[in-house]
Amino acid sequence: MRPERHARRGRPRGRPRARRGRIGVAGVALPRLVLTGLVLAAGMASGGAGLRAATLTPQEQVETRLMCYCGCTDLTVRTCSCGTAADIKMDIAQRLAGGQTADQVVEAYVRERGAQIRSAPTTSGFDLLAWVMPFAAILVGAGLIVHLTRRWRSRATAPPSGDAPMSPAFDSRRLSADDRATLDRVERAIREEL
Amino acid sequence: MADFGTLCLLMALAAAAWAVLASFNGWRSQSGELILSGERALYVTWGLVALAVASLETLIFNDRFEVEYVASYSNRALPATYKVAALWAGQAGSILFWLFILCTYSAAMVLFNRRRNRPLMPIVVTTLGCVATFFLILVNFIARPFVTLSRTPIDGMGMNPQLQNPFMAIHPPCLYVGYVGLTVPFAFAMAALATGRLDDTWFRTTRRFTILSWFILGSGILLGGWWAYVELGWGGYWAWDPVENASLIPWLTATAFLHSVMIEERKRMLRVWNMSLVIMTFLLSILGTFITRSGIISSVHSFTRSDIGPMFAGFLGLSILVSVGLLLHRLPLLRSEHRLDSFVSRESTFLFNNLLLVGAAFTVLWGTLFPILSEAVRGVKITVGPPFFNAVMVPITFGLLTLVAICPTIAWRRATPARLLDKIRIPLGSGVAAAAILFAAGMRDVYALVAFSLAAFVGVTTIMEFVWGTLARSRATGEPPLRALWSLVDRNKRRYGGFVVHLGVMLVIVGVTGSSVFKQEATAVLHRGDSFTVGRFTMTLEDMVSRDTPNQEFLGARLAVFTGGRRVGTLVPGQNFYKAGQNPSTEVDIRSSLREDLYLIMTGFDPQKGQATLKAYLNPLVAWIWIGGGVLILGSWFAMLPDLRERRRSAEARLRAVASYAT
Repeated sequence: MRPERHARRGRPRGRPRARRGRIGVAGVALPRLVLTGLVLAAGMASGGAGLRAATLTPQEQVETRLMCYCGCTDLTVRTCSCGTAADIKMDIAQRLAGGQTADQVVEAYVRERGAQIRSAPTTSGFDLLAWVMPFAAILVGAGLIVHLTRRWRSRATAPPSGDAPMSPAFDSRRLSADDRATLDRVERAIREEL
Repeated sequence: MADFGTLCLLMALAAAAWAVLASFNGWRSQSGELILSGERALYVTWGLVALAVASLETLIFNDRFEVEYVASYSNRALPATYKVAALWAGQAGSILFWLFILCTYSAAMVLFNRRRNRPLMPIVVTTLGCVATFFLILVNFIARPFVTLSRTPIDGMGMNPQLQNPFMAIHPPCLYVGYVGLTVPFAFAMAALATGRLDDTWFRTTRRFTILSWFILGSGILLGGWWAYVELGWGGYWAWDPVENASLIPWLTATAFLHSVMIEERKRMLRVWNMSLVIMTFLLSILGTFITRSGIISSVHSFTRSDIGPMFAGFLGLSILVSVGLLLHRLPLLRSEHRLDSFVSRESTFLFNNLLLVGAAFTVLWGTLFPILSEAVRGVKITVGPPFFNAVMVPITFGLLTLVAICPTIAWRRATPARLLDKIRIPLGSGVAAAAILFAAGMRDVYALVAFSLAAFVGVTTIMEFVWGTLARSRATGEPPLRALWSLVDRNKRRYGGFVVHLGVMLVIVGVTGSSVFKQEATAVLHRGDSFTVGRFTMTLEDMVSRDTPNQEFLGARLAVFTGGRRVGTLVPGQNFYKAGQNPSTEVDIRSSLREDLYLIMTGFDPQKGQATLKAYLNPLVAWIWIGGGVLILGSWFAMLPDLRERRRSAEARLRAVASYAT
């Protein structure tokens, strides 16, 4: 029954078990690793940004969350060096000293100047789309690549070529077996070039 | 002279239109005479546009203020260098300059291919002619550089003070040469699609142009950053401004193309994807121009709002329609037998590198256009500023750096995870060791630790490729190591040029991380003799100084710089007051070293009280960004040179061509 099933799926008969083993590691673990990496990256973007913001003083946090409205550059209050930014910084300091929290100061500015004064979209409602979309697109792309590479892999029938035999000449160089293999790979490539 | 310029542009429009008609009809009817006529018309277009450019420069140099453009962007006191740069200081002049570069590229392509790629050339000329015709319509009817005023002013308004900087004289031409150069691979891709000749000719022919455009665009972006750093006076070099983003997006997709085309060369895979990347890159460069010039997004770089926006939108739409239509039409011919021996292979790392590069391009585009989307959907205009881009792009950059480190060590076709881990153990160990040393030295910022660790990973991987290659060649040929190294890189310039580019990117990342994470700043109002401190530097105000030139008056503060009680230099930040009656511009002064930049700005002053308001930034490692840029340029230049294998391949191609004629 087994050979028939293989034939039905278009797989060559008698494919070595070791090769199926590699599918298990490379074909399943790595895609998962890539996807996990991307999810971690998304988490890093949102959580990491928050973590970094937490290391800033409340004054610096507010300055980073507001754009300067001096009109000469597209900079946050924290980075802009113009007189308007200096006035805003002073005002922020006064508001914070008056007992307002960083969030309250930002909200007060949004009420006075509109949502455009925020330096980045919020993480709720429609604005959330701004944060989610880049990572969603990359995740979809990664999924597509994983899907395609699995399909393309199943077409490939060429024998493995990665693990090259060692060149005995390297033994005298007292290199490890792995280093000899690497050198062999490079040497072979260079011989092809010559 | 203005009338002569206008006449040249009108005639150039007719010539470009003829180039399009003659080439396209020549291709359809297989008429050699029409095809030749189309090519000659493109030379004529170049000549006429060059004359128009020369006319405008003559008008600027002769202070002919009866011409509106000259009166708006030049004045009598403007130094000669900036009179040359006045050509691209305004909307109409910059489009004319763009057109001149496009026509120069077009004429060069026709010249280089007068005996090669003949079946493709009619459609190449048609495509280049179409783009030239569009820009000629703009300069003839919408953004006209030779419009005359009814009353001639005594003097011009002069150039924007912030543009009067040597970097600004080079930065826009670099961006234009880069942007416009991306039209060449697009034209060849269109020709390949239209003619159905979808072998590797189109990308082999344009490979050097693509690398040239890519690295000149990259240099333009870096020079723009340098200009912002030394001119804008906020202590930084990149603000994720929409116009900066517009230049970065096509550069990212072009980078993806330069990598993925290697898979097509080796394995004939990803043919649809590569074609899509070339089309995408061209369209994104037009979109970038649209963003810069339409005024749809406010930016410090934007030209004034004009009627040019709808024209660009129309051209962009038409380009999408034609190029995507052609691509879909040729899909059956482009389908190739994709085979991948292993998930762990050079091919798959290239696929993920493409994913992250295109993902990065999409992220920047998404962030740039999101305010428009928000306004359209919710009616609320929001800002997507640096905090968004920094948060989203950092993990993507880390992913890319990881791939840059791993990719060179993986074999083509197949490797195993165990072999991969084995090959990267020394570079990976170096990365981990770098993080451990920095942590032990007191560094606690997670982003900085990861970035420096990845930089070490990339650096060691890349250097090891040179070392292993040299060792192997030395063993194989018996050459001494230095000669073996030279022979190695000389025989495969593209591979090792690419590695040098990777080293450049690594240095840029080191510089960006150091200068953004560990930046320090201090502000102070000083009287003569007062001091203030930032990091390890103490600055003492010695005196207020002034300088007068025909174009401007400079007023600044002279500060002595001390570190560890020892005087190490003098800095004179100040402000320039341009006599053309515009706002003052900040003139920063920088003490630069490989370790850090001490960056001083004078934000205010009172000469009578001898008082100055000063801001100081300490930007660690910032010099490595510019050094990395230089390394990147060097690597790109090296990768463009023909190597032995390429010469052999083209010799074989010539032999095949001769053999086919003989039979």
